Amino acid sequence: MAALDERRAGFQKYKDDVKNRGKPFFPYAMFHDTVMSLVVVCVIIGLACVWYFTSGENPDTCGGKDSCLLGPRYSEPADPGTTNFVPRPDWYFYFLFYLLRIFKWPNSVILGTVGIPTILLIILIALPFLDTRLERRLWRRPVAVIAAVLVVLSMGVLTYRGATAKEALAAEVKAAVPRWAARQGFTDNKDAVAGANLFAVSGCTSCHTYLGTGSSNQGAPDLSAEGAKGKPKTFYHDYIRDPSKFGNNVMPKFGFSDEQLNQLAAFLTSSKGPK
Amino acid sequence: MATATPTTRPPKKSARRQKVESALIYPVDWLEERSGLVGGIKYFLFRKVPADTNWMQTLGSATLTAFIVQAVTGVILAMYYQPHPDTAYQSIQHITNDVTLGWLVRGMHRWGASVFIILMFFHMARVFLFGAYKYPRELNWIVGVMLLALGMLEGFTGYLLPWDQTAYWATIVGININGTAPVLGPFIAQFLRGGAEIGTDTLSRFYSLHMLLIPGGIIGLITLHLYLVVRLGVTSPPWSKEAAGATWVDDEPPSTNGHRAGLTRPAARASLRRDGSGS
Repeated sequence: MAALDERRAGFQKYKDDVKNRGKPFFPYAMFHDTVMSLVVVCVIIGLACVWYFTSGENPDTCGGKDSCLLGPRYSEPADPGTTNFVPRPDWYFYFLFYLLRIFKWPNSVILGTVGIPTILLIILIALPFLDTRLERRLWRRPVAVIAAVLVVLSMGVLTYRGATAKEALAAEVKAAVPRWAARQGFTDNKDAVAGANLFAVSGCTSCHTYLGTGSSNQGAPDLSAEGAKGKPKTFYHDYIRDPSKFGNNVMPKFGFSDEQLNQLAAFLTSSKGPK
Repeated sequence: MATATPTTRPPKKSARRQKVESALIYPVDWLEERSGLVGGIKYFLFRKVPADTNWMQTLGSATLTAFIVQAVTGVILAMYYQPHPDTAYQSIQHITNDVTLGWLVRGMHRWGASVFIILMFFHMARVFLFGAYKYPRELNWIVGVMLLALGMLEGFTGYLLPWDQTAYWATIVGININGTAPVLGPFIAQFLRGGAEIGTDTLSRFYSLHMLLIPGGIIGLITLHLYLVVRLGVTSPPWSKEAAGATWVDDEPPSTNGHRAGLTRPAARASLRRDGSGS
């Protein structure tokens, strides 16, 4: 195979050239490596110092007026009973986090959660076999350069959007409840209004949208016309209590009481779409 | 080392000095005779690299440094951290607020993780732009991609350990996302949780993965990665004027007439006109 011979000859030439005209790793390259490593360690120590000295012992220190440059030391202790915490991953998963807003549960969410990351990983592993030319100069590799720029740009945009994605505050969402009730016509249904309030303050709108409020996330569906599907209250009661029993492994289990579950179910069944 | 010392320069060493020197050299020789390690280290240090390697090519060793920082701070943290839902949060508070310099160790581990991930991406970008994943270095690229994946898994498993709200809820969503994968998904999710709920078993499981299994894999792969780097050599920049930069075949043989390594060689450059026809 001529191509293979050419590659071997090229590599042999590289080896000969390095042997004849290269410089020893120590001290030349090692000097650069050492300087760079020291910079890395200093940056890490610097980050740790800024993080520590701008935050306080109290997990609440970074809320509102006193801002920590690099976030709090820790948030409140884990509490499985909370109903209104907005999950956020570490920054390097933001791109994935934002990708999940684009795909809707249940039809295409697998694309966002598993499909795209798996495809990216396979392409990455296969790269040396997709691009087998020996050419290494950038201006002779237009496809590689354009692909790299596109990947970096899209990762950057997704990370930025994931970082700045605003989650509505519970109080703001709650203010919209009377409007919802009027548009859906359940103002007189006490259970449904209580459920709507619960829906508003429990962080449901971090993933679900309802009459234009909230942000679609992790592929969660819009619930404005959920009641129009004609499913019984018991269905929603059971579903919210443990979504995984219904094959929904994305939505977490929240610690709602039986009464709260009934109120949420009343709210959802009364949501037949705006009049 | 001891054998090759030329004794041509007459100022005769005193008998005492000779004794001291041979005593110092003895352990090195002892080690070399039994392991060959000294020769290996010498080979590693004095192997040739292309004369025009670039600052960008320090990103790999910078990533290794970040990993070493993670390993050292991680070992110290493990001495104080208690992987149980009842005590994990308190032990993190204790480390951060009470233990001498505990804040520094935890802060370095926490932010070192981000630096490690960023450097892995930068290093990968450099390798991509230099075309350094091409023949014969394909295998090393694959090892690198596996290291990137394992590094991100370290991030995922480590995120739960403080057992605060951020950790808990992000991990619930993370595990649920794994659960959506076709066929294997539910099993992976079940395995990660260690049961139906996130709890004691999940935390100790994540702790074990985070500090034993995944770092073990990373260390093994880094060793392989470095072995391949030493075996195959460092690529020079694609714009290199050195012949070592041009892995395509030239008709003219490279000029090697007595120039010192690492210095500019106008004559050699002239003979190395790369017209690109060989690519």
